[in-house]
Amino acid sequence: MRPSKMPSLLAFLVVLLMACAATAQHHQHGKPGAAPEAFTATPAFGPDGTLWLARATADRITVEKSTDLGKTFSEPVSVTPEPMNLDWGPDARVRIAADPKGGLIVTFAIFQDKNFNGRAFFSRSLDKGASFTPPRPITADTTSQRFETVAVDPSSGRVFAAWLDKRNGPKARATGKPYPGAALAYAWEDGDGAFGKTEIALDNTCECCRLGVAFAGPGRPAVVFRNIFPGSVRDHAVVTFKDPATPGPLRRVSTDDWKIEACPHHGPSIAIAPDGSYHVAWFTDAPSRKGLFYARADNGDVPFGAPRALSSPNRQPARPYLLSDGQALHLVWKEFDGNKSVVHWQLSRDSGRHWSDTRTVAETADASDHPLLVAHDGHAYLSWLTKNEGYRLIPLEDR
Amino acid sequence: MSSRTPSMTIARLSALLALLLTVFAVGRAEAVEPQPFARGSWAELQARHAGQPTVVHLWGLTCAPCLTELPHWADLQRERSDLRLVLLAADPVPQPPVRVEEMLSRSGLDKLESWSFADRFNERLRYEIDPAWSGELPRTLLIDRDGTVTTLPGVADLGEVRAWLDRQRTH
Repeated sequence: MRPSKMPSLLAFLVVLLMACAATAQHHQHGKPGAAPEAFTATPAFGPDGTLWLARATADRITVEKSTDLGKTFSEPVSVTPEPMNLDWGPDARVRIAADPKGGLIVTFAIFQDKNFNGRAFFSRSLDKGASFTPPRPITADTTSQRFETVAVDPSSGRVFAAWLDKRNGPKARATGKPYPGAALAYAWEDGDGAFGKTEIALDNTCECCRLGVAFAGPGRPAVVFRNIFPGSVRDHAVVTFKDPATPGPLRRVSTDDWKIEACPHHGPSIAIAPDGSYHVAWFTDAPSRKGLFYARADNGDVPFGAPRALSSPNRQPARPYLLSDGQALHLVWKEFDGNKSVVHWQLSRDSGRHWSDTRTVAETADASDHPLLVAHDGHAYLSWLTKNEGYRLIPLEDR
Repeated sequence: MSSRTPSMTIARLSALLALLLTVFAVGRAEAVEPQPFARGSWAELQARHAGQPTVVHLWGLTCAPCLTELPHWADLQRERSDLRLVLLAADPVPQPPVRVEEMLSRSGLDKLESWSFADRFNERLRYEIDPAWSGELPRTLLIDRDGTVTTLPGVADLGEVRAWLDRQRTH
């Protein structure tokens, strides 16, 4: 037998087998048909100007840091010791906040089951991000928590967490009452690195949109959320706390009258300026008002002014984000131009009464995370994770 | 393996090859899954049904009202032989095709033409279908013989769909 023919045929067989195996593998685990995965990166500046970046990828949460404004990053430190079934919903994200002493807190949620019931966790680092405590649930109730949001009260350094909680649904339905949506739940860190008792601020909010949190004063968080108004109208509202334990009344941001039985997966953003004015940006698809809108209120007690449209609705405007930084108010959002997703930016220096022309600050030609804003030392930055370019921290230069 | 190779004939190898190919072919044919909906798929879908009144129903595994609505579409399909129905799972984050297929089977819709978003760049996929569609589900597109699209946002009023089907007949 000639030795050359067999090996080449064998080689062919092996290659063919590998190709088949690769196709089968691809069919089950690659694209298309991949298991959905979280794809988010959330920034926070520490008091010393270190940029902390929490990332959710596939089944783990990591934190990395940059001391050169995002040009280079440290090796990622794991927050989740074991693989977890992370919430990959389009409005869910890992969160991170730095307290005034340089301590870090990370929050994230997992899916408990195929019905998208969630469980929210938090983890702390008290050694400047070198390690993180094993993740612990934010609350003892196991029904469902999602869209947890964490913020540090700048006056005290105390950590406030708010989330959407479904614990009251089964109770209501057991007594024959309908319970649309979820509840807005909150808890404060109790001082020894754990959260205190969970309280419900309000029932029947929309159940799958992100929340926004800002501080109106010491111990006074303000939470913006998509509410369910009578008739399944899913418009936005703000609740400002009177003190740490007393949520104030619901204040409607605008009357869009978006009646929808489904959940839009598209939550709002809030900023409170040093003059006490409130600023909210949101998405709606009501018959008479479609797209992204912005509104302001002089303070926490008066109604919001008329909504201002940010974009034409046929450009898929999405994911607005507001940031108050000293006298500057920054507003970014995402649009799609037919080929690329672009991030637009507007700036106001008079408490949101007038805004600059819209400028494009970044773009990408594939999938992307929400655009976020972060500031340190009088400079604001766009923080954006995109599939093609990876993570970018882009200075917002006031040209 | 190396000790056995020299004794193998080309014929035996060919037989093995044929067997392997059969195994893979059968294995793949059994997985009845939605077609991956990627960039350019909308044009392909439209071309496939050009000149035929077609209903494209957009739904999602992550959309609770959609799952309640699906069996009603199966009922309508049984009732109306003139309903040319195409199902498109448009979840904002692509879902495993096998789960999309499971849900369609459970709803009695597994024999129909079905597609599923297979690209995380959903802005692009949505834009190709309708630039003004921000992703809300469910959503139904009634496409006339001449390509004119009537959009029913939210859970569809099937009475409206029946009336539309009647109008297509008279043309």
